[in-house]
Amino acid sequence: MASFLARRLITFIPTLVGVLLITYLIAYAIPADPVRAWVGEKLMNPQTLEQIRTKYKFNAPWYEQFAFLVQQLLTGQLDDPVRHRNVFTEITSRFGVTVEVAIVGFLFLVAIGIPLGLLAAVFKDTPVDFAVRIMALVGSSLPSFVLYYFLILLLFVYTKTTYLAGIPEPTIACRTTISTLPLRIPFLGHLASALGNVPMFAAIMCREFSVVADTFKRLYLPGLALGLLNGGFIARIVRNSLLDALSAEFILYGKARGLRRLSVWKHALKNAMVPVITVLGLNFGGLLSGAIIAETVFNIPGIGRYMYEAIMRLNFPVIIACTFLVAVIYITVNLVVDILYAIIDPRIRY
Amino acid sequence: MEFVYKALKRLVWFYAGIREKFSPGWITKNSSRIREWELMAYAYSKSPIGVIGGIIVFIVFILAVIGPIITWEPYWEYKIVINESYRYMPPCLPPSCSGNPLLGTDEWGRDVLAMSLYGMRISFVISIVVVLLGAPLGIVLGLLAGYKGGVVDEVLMRVTDIFLAFPGLVLAIAFASVLPQRLRGVLEANSMLRSFFASLFGLRGAEYGQIAALLSIWFAMVIVWWPGYARIVRGSTLSVKEMPFIEAAKLSGLSTWSILFRHLLPNVISPILVMMTFDIATATLFAAALSFLGLGPQEPVPELGFMISKAGQFFPERSSHVVIYLGLLLLFIAIGWNLLGDALRDILDPRTRRAIEYRFEKEKKRRG
Amino acid sequence: MESSLYLPEGEILRVEDLVVKFYTYAGVVHAVSGVSFFVRNGEAIALVGETGCGKTVTTRAITRLIESPGRVESGRALFRRHSGEVIDLLSIDPETLREIRGKEIAYIFQDPTSALDPLYTIGFHIHETIAEHSKNAKKKYTFKKAVELLRQALIPNPEVRVKNYPHEMSGGMRQRSVIAISLSNSPRLLIADEPTTNLDVTIQAQILDLLRSLQEQYKMGVILITHNLGIVAEVANRVYVMYAGKIVEEGATEQIFYNPQHPYTKLLLRAVPDPTKRVEKLESIPGVVPSLINPPTGCRFQPRCPFAITKCASEVPPMIPVEGGHRVSCWLFEKS
Repeated sequence: MASFLARRLITFIPTLVGVLLITYLIAYAIPADPVRAWVGEKLMNPQTLEQIRTKYKFNAPWYEQFAFLVQQLLTGQLDDPVRHRNVFTEITSRFGVTVEVAIVGFLFLVAIGIPLGLLAAVFKDTPVDFAVRIMALVGSSLPSFVLYYFLILLLFVYTKTTYLAGIPEPTIACRTTISTLPLRIPFLGHLASALGNVPMFAAIMCREFSVVADTFKRLYLPGLALGLLNGGFIARIVRNSLLDALSAEFILYGKARGLRRLSVWKHALKNAMVPVITVLGLNFGGLLSGAIIAETVFNIPGIGRYMYEAIMRLNFPVIIACTFLVAVIYITVNLVVDILYAIIDPRIRY
Repeated sequence: MEFVYKALKRLVWFYAGIREKFSPGWITKNSSRIREWELMAYAYSKSPIGVIGGIIVFIVFILAVIGPIITWEPYWEYKIVINESYRYMPPCLPPSCSGNPLLGTDEWGRDVLAMSLYGMRISFVISIVVVLLGAPLGIVLGLLAGYKGGVVDEVLMRVTDIFLAFPGLVLAIAFASVLPQRLRGVLEANSMLRSFFASLFGLRGAEYGQIAALLSIWFAMVIVWWPGYARIVRGSTLSVKEMPFIEAAKLSGLSTWSILFRHLLPNVISPILVMMTFDIATATLFAAALSFLGLGPQEPVPELGFMISKAGQFFPERSSHVVIYLGLLLLFIAIGWNLLGDALRDILDPRTRRAIEYRFEKEKKRRG
Repeated sequence: MESSLYLPEGEILRVEDLVVKFYTYAGVVHAVSGVSFFVRNGEAIALVGETGCGKTVTTRAITRLIESPGRVESGRALFRRHSGEVIDLLSIDPETLREIRGKEIAYIFQDPTSALDPLYTIGFHIHETIAEHSKNAKKKYTFKKAVELLRQALIPNPEVRVKNYPHEMSGGMRQRSVIAISLSNSPRLLIADEPTTNLDVTIQAQILDLLRSLQEQYKMGVILITHNLGIVAEVANRVYVMYAGKIVEEGATEQIFYNPQHPYTKLLLRAVPDPTKRVEKLESIPGVVPSLINPPTGCRFQPRCPFAITKCASEVPPMIPVEGGHRVSCWLFEKS
């Protein structure tokens, strides 16, 4: 298992480097002068511009500039020139929010997709099956932003079941407690502190469950929307995968051995899970990279929106940092999916 | 669905007739291929979702082509300049109302229905060309990488890995925000290109700045699209290239290109065609999403996603009709392509093939 | 109430007039049309015939393992349970049937690779086969039993193999594992569907020997399905020759081999080349198996039969006794 992991990690390093390099080169190819865009009209005087240029090594050749940015990135000192904050503080808080949204969205996805898929398989070729097919069709044909507006109309405008501003946060007392954890407990403390960047997790750790409930109230609308959009697709995959598993010879052999219906279903379900896990994992990874449109429409301060704004304002340091984060997410998610795969399917382990 | 089958059959034989004229004897040499096409036409005509999807796509196609020509209101005239109250007028449906635009007006007082005809042309052109450019690019690279193996393969895998590491939307945003300036300059200088693209999209040459934005969406999407195809085709190529008939082709001295296109490609093409059909739907929505985020053409170009995003600011008090109508339009277009893709997948599925063949033979015998 | 559920002394299974049909898009396939046979305690019978003659469908139909679009239309399958009670497998309630499956009647499927769930170990397969038929089977006990069973099936290092997954074993070992799994509950009747067809010839011999010794040891009745006459000669006491969904000849192995009556049987035997003789041409049976969607009227072998008479095309021949226990379904042997 260890060699398996090591091998996967090694192949990703060139990918990571390539990602960063390409991003940088694209940005470098822009004819415009980004520094002006960063500074904005108010502070536009030659001295400030020159200061910023020197700080970000604009006068140096491109590879020096790139090396500088990467070095700053890896040591965590990179600064966002537009907001004048350390990029990492900004990213960690925003990523925490994106994680929350991803979790809520994923829960809805699983809650909608898997049961519907199971039903469609059991009631194959009946109206239930047909309805699931329609749902998958509409879900993949509807522009996401239209569904978002529609749901907002239904669940926010007409019936105030949620709100569209800010993100519930745990109390300050809670946050200070968590930030001091690394000092008190050696390894787990760091882990807990990192998890604490996700407001919901911090609230759970401090037992502030009202905050958790509030978070669901705030985020259930985008979660539901994401679940409805992709739920049909997941349901179809579950359905097909389950039907394939049920028609396998070992299922008939199981019946021939006199297994109870429950045991037969256990065999079928476990085999059916394998492709489903892959799809769900990749879906979750996509959610973690930030759903830009959802964040825009629902006014969520997440990573997606941050990246979008950075691109529009040619904010290189942020772009590089976000790119790095996205690539790391991609690598991690793929790795986790592969590991899950290997756990479930013994044929994959080597 | 009889007429569908007859119409398609006539198409097949028409094509066969043309090939026959150019190279006599073509029909006898390719009789099994012709039968294959007849079989697919039959299977298609028997599939309700296929026919419905086909009808929808046909309607979309017609509207896209003639839309900008038959539309009754030019997009470059802002009615609100005349009278502020023209903005976001609600739909005026007979019999309770008459005289005003049927589905209301948009941000600038223009008839939404008329604007959507322009929008359909733009969406259609973008989605079709993105898939027709991106897919072949990916397919050729995938074939090469899978067949040659070695360094070529490794390089391609790394490159597609890098592209696929980004969520598609992010990558597209990056390119689409960067390119317009460059393309703007090109269009400004070259009037032939300007008028060509303008008529392609159903717009005026004067809007070349916005056309540059459309073209950058195009490029951005093609760049996002090709890695997926390259990956899949590479995978299929890897499994097919070990088969004996490829070795036979190599031994008989065929050139690499010949092997790739005449022997490998036809064997991996079926799932690719299905994917391309689905992708046209995806591309339509993707382009609308990019415009929604502000990366596409700005006013006065009536792009569907852009109009929805503008309407979002006044939602829902005044502009829900815009969001609903244009949203349903995009839904309609995407459903058409998705249904077509679904039907195509069923037709090309080897498991259902025997049943279809059996029924086909029976029908042919019945007709004599 | 029920028409006599009676089995002659010494018999463990008796199938009467089994009819199975498949309702497909192309029409109704008459897969099995009135098949009758019996198995005695401790004896091995062989069901012989070409691919598609209905051998597998017959044996699966007995325990109602036929799934849609197939249906067991009629017939009886009388089985003597361990308790001595005689029941009709085709009409008992599903729960009783489930109890019998895997415990009193066991199957060996043709392809051992697809018969095993790739996500579970061999040991687990045996464990659940035992556990599903007893109230309190502890894992410690079942795994010990599993090692024993694997050893009996001549698998080396059974303590290690019991924790193996199917893909970690060779084809021969997989088939032996399937045999071990099927024997977990000491069944009274073993149905082996072409158990050696997918294996190398050298392994074939080993598996056959294994089956023979286990049959003696467990005193099981065995139904062996095969198209390989060599195996029949080695293992079976009695033979049933099937063609196009019907039994055309039945008898003791020596009777069938030394005194074949039915034209089809004769041609079958002739088609097996004698390795010690030199031949110019391999024998085959001209023609093709008829479509079972519209089976020919009368004798189903008639279109290919070199000895057919006019009666064969219109009337189905009954089973005509030739010598003790040896019967043939052919008009050529009609006694007037």
